[in-house]
Amino acid sequence: MLSFSGKRLLGLGHRVSAAAVVGRGYHERVVDHYDNPRNVGSFDKNDSSVGTGLVGAPACGDVMKLQIRVDEESGKIVDACFKTFGCGSAIASSSVATEWVKGKKMEEVLSIKNTEIAKHLSLPPVKLHCSMLAEDAIKAAVKDYEAKKAKHLGNAEAAQVEKA
Amino acid sequence: MLNMLSVFSVLRRQFLENNCLNVFLIMRRSKNCSLFSLLRTSLKELVYENTTKRGLWLSASSLVHEDLLLHPGIPSNFCINTRSFSIPAKRFARASNCRGLDHHDFPEFRVLNRFLCSSEAGSGELPRCWNCGGAAVSPGPFLACGLCGSVQPVDQSIDFFQIFGLERKYEIKDGNLEVKYKDWQKKLHPDLVHSKSEKEKMFAAEQSARVIDAYRTLSKPLPRAIYLLKLEGVHVDEEKTITDPDLLAEMMDIREAVEEANDSHALNQIQTQVEEKFEKCSRSFEQVFKMHDFDNAIAAIERMRYYDRALEEITKKL
Repeated sequence: MLSFSGKRLLGLGHRVSAAAVVGRGYHERVVDHYDNPRNVGSFDKNDSSVGTGLVGAPACGDVMKLQIRVDEESGKIVDACFKTFGCGSAIASSSVATEWVKGKKMEEVLSIKNTEIAKHLSLPPVKLHCSMLAEDAIKAAVKDYEAKKAKHLGNAEAAQVEKA
Repeated sequence: MLNMLSVFSVLRRQFLENNCLNVFLIMRRSKNCSLFSLLRTSLKELVYENTTKRGLWLSASSLVHEDLLLHPGIPSNFCINTRSFSIPAKRFARASNCRGLDHHDFPEFRVLNRFLCSSEAGSGELPRCWNCGGAAVSPGPFLACGLCGSVQPVDQSIDFFQIFGLERKYEIKDGNLEVKYKDWQKKLHPDLVHSKSEKEKMFAAEQSARVIDAYRTLSKPLPRAIYLLKLEGVHVDEEKTITDPDLLAEMMDIREAVEEANDSHALNQIQTQVEEKFEKCSRSFEQVFKMHDFDNAIAAIERMRYYDRALEEITKKL
């Protein structure tokens, strides 16, 4: 089982060689995301322009956190990062998800389907739920941002009403 | 069409041909049947009549007597004085303990068996051995025949708890699972049937696989909990994504802590904490399950699975 990819940044994990990959059956794109993790990290949860999606798959005890930074005026996602504890397929799925949401509008990313992610990574049927988890994480992040925005607006309105 | 007289003549013939094993089987087979006392009397008479065969039949009668001690009302003079027999009892005992009687020697047995079946009272409920037709006589699940020892085909209606003789509940203190598991494998393991028919080999493979499955499921708390819910018809949906923020945030923290811990002391500390949480969930599951609160039971199982996974990661790291 592959663990949190952040560990690899510190050079503590061991590399999965290409030969081993062929034997074990991970697609090269999955291995690529594991060897060269992109967008691993964290944003400040309390930042008003950040939406956080935290999802889990009870079957394997995986946890996935996906965060998006949204530009308020354009409604576009300018940055994204993730942190996933789970198998290689789950890590790769969330990594792909962060890559795909960058530069897109929030409505657009809601249409990203898990089947697309699974196809991109050539996930076997037994790992399809990992891509589903990534799709759910995107939706949860967007939902969180919207909720924050609504609350923020609500607070601002209340403040204005009070002033007036 | 077999009738009562024919049964006696079968018994007589087997006796006169010195087929002690077959005689033994007939007596055992008719144990639950109304014919039994008559057959017993008949055997006694045969033994007395045929003094030349006395030696052989002394040990036969003593074995039949021992075996039939459970039967009420056995007359005390049934068993002839065994001290004067010439055939070593051990040889006979070994012969009568051998499993899987080969029917080439005893073609009448199947017919006899069907006849005895129809004369048995109230035994319609008992499962029967495919090999000797014997009804399940001993208590416990019918995985192997008590009479001829043949392994039986898997009966899916016998659940895992029944295989180990346990009540269907979460707490299994002093279940002695390992001892019972080994006992079953002594009767069912495929290695023991390597010289038997293909059919029996297949039965042995399936039965022992089922017992292994049962042992693995019941020996750990989490699979046991899931199995209990399954027996109640509640399916724990494993594919569904969960978004419970508290549980997930907690798990994130635990997993991050495990990642960052660098020495075994720190890991052991986390391990103890997570184990405690698991225990708490486990007890909570027991409570809600007893009250048939299946929604909360599923929630408890989800938490337990997460803690279990974290414990796996800690163990890997240690």
